[in-house]
Amino acid sequence: MNKASWNPIKLPVERYILPVLEHLPPVVSFYAKTRGWPFIIAWAHRITGLLLALYFFVHIYTLSFLATPVAYDAKMKLFGFFLFSFLEWLLAVPVIFHALNGGRLILFEVFGRRNDESLIRWMLGLSTTYILLLGLMMIRQDQSASLIVYWLPILVFSISLVYLVSLKIWRTENSMAWKLHRMIGVYLLIMIPAHMLFMHLEPAIAHEANTVINRMQHVSAKLLDLTLVLGVSYHAGYGLVSICKDYLPPGSLQNVLTFLIALTIAVLGWVGIKLTIIL
Amino acid sequence: MSQKTGQQVYNLTLKIHRYDPDTHRSWIQEYRLEAGRILRFVDLFRKINEEQDATLAWNSSCEHGQCGTCSVKVNGKSLLACELLVENAVQYFNTTTFNIEPLNIAPVVRDLLVDLEKAYERLDKVRPYIIRPAPALSPGEEYPISPHELEGYVNATRCINCFCCASACISSHRTFLGPHAMLAAIIRVMDPREQEKQERLKILYSDQGVYRCHSSRACSFVCPKQIDVAHFIALAKEGGITRKR
Repeated sequence: MNKASWNPIKLPVERYILPVLEHLPPVVSFYAKTRGWPFIIAWAHRITGLLLALYFFVHIYTLSFLATPVAYDAKMKLFGFFLFSFLEWLLAVPVIFHALNGGRLILFEVFGRRNDESLIRWMLGLSTTYILLLGLMMIRQDQSASLIVYWLPILVFSISLVYLVSLKIWRTENSMAWKLHRMIGVYLLIMIPAHMLFMHLEPAIAHEANTVINRMQHVSAKLLDLTLVLGVSYHAGYGLVSICKDYLPPGSLQNVLTFLIALTIAVLGWVGIKLTIIL
Repeated sequence: MSQKTGQQVYNLTLKIHRYDPDTHRSWIQEYRLEAGRILRFVDLFRKINEEQDATLAWNSSCEHGQCGTCSVKVNGKSLLACELLVENAVQYFNTTTFNIEPLNIAPVVRDLLVDLEKAYERLDKVRPYIIRPAPALSPGEEYPISPHELEGYVNATRCINCFCCASACISSHRTFLGPHAMLAAIIRVMDPREQEKQERLKILYSDQGVYRCHSSRACSFVCPKQIDVAHFIALAKEGGITRKR
């Protein structure tokens, strides 16, 4: 056992970043040394997943105000403040990390890409690029894009990826629930960061009730949002139940919690679907 | 570190987690000892028994990294005490103080000993042996396995059931049968001598099986036999273990 066996520093830039990461929070340094960096990344994936599930709840709640546009506009005024804009930008961190790390896991588990260190580098590099790009969009606030021109290529790309993954896993012995979780995950890993970027091209797209309602009159926008609500509901529900099954022994407590998670997600999904259809 | 008769000697502090089953008392006992650089941690435990405290209980058998009975956690890392040299430990952890605890894979019997029978119960669930052997080509002969077939899983057969992977895994031991148990099941699915595949696949793809693995790769990181355990579990998810070779 020597230092090289756990120290993943290979690129010059990591020579400066990793030692800082290891020395800042003792818990990170402890797990990096005793279980390796992918273990820390796995925990980060889990924590960001929990955060995003929580945000999904808040997001649906906020959007429910669209039923009364005046109330929605009043609420959105808050996002004009720097602190809220900053928090919105910070949300990009869990979103893009969870999305790209999910992509890395699919490459590792489904496509046999075991060169995990380079995948981790790509994932972190692309995440940083996305976060900076989103920040730039939020500062400029002057971009616009047609719904079809923006979404069509993204949708085609996402569906192609789902098709590729389904080809790989459909005939395996894995459960249908697991296969769906992976396929939906691939769909969301492109669509959610794209959705977040689209919503920040200019402030009115997401912050003015009338603009949002007008956009939602397009059937294509409704269909797109429906796939997102359904996809996120299933993906988050599966993830939460999976965490529950990881730590609770099979029995009544696990069953009750699984039922409660399924119920909460179903109600949330139903509210989201109703909102998408009636707007 | 001091020099003694021309040889490097380390002044070590071992903080060992102890447990007395008679009184159900747990405590951490500190031992200070001098040790040469190539002494192994099992040698340190023996030194403690001989020079300081005969009551310290620990486990070992072959002491050559082949039986997996001396697994412990040193400063949080699951490893074989017979493989860890003092010098390497000092370099790796950058300290001469070591916190030593039993693996958290089963109830502790005493000090560093865990109830291995309990730990093996989870492994037994995957029935790590050939259930229904394929008939040999001609009676009385061995069943031939081609080198190509063997290549796919031979690395996994080096597992010694030391439980280091199970102890490091992101999933808990209450639900997941464990990376080593998955490995044992995967070996038999890939083994052409085994005809009973369905029962194994049912266990592998159950709630206690591969779905509890989240590819955190801690199992591969700690494996003293350097088996890429996470690769084999990923192979199961990928469908690669049932594919004809």
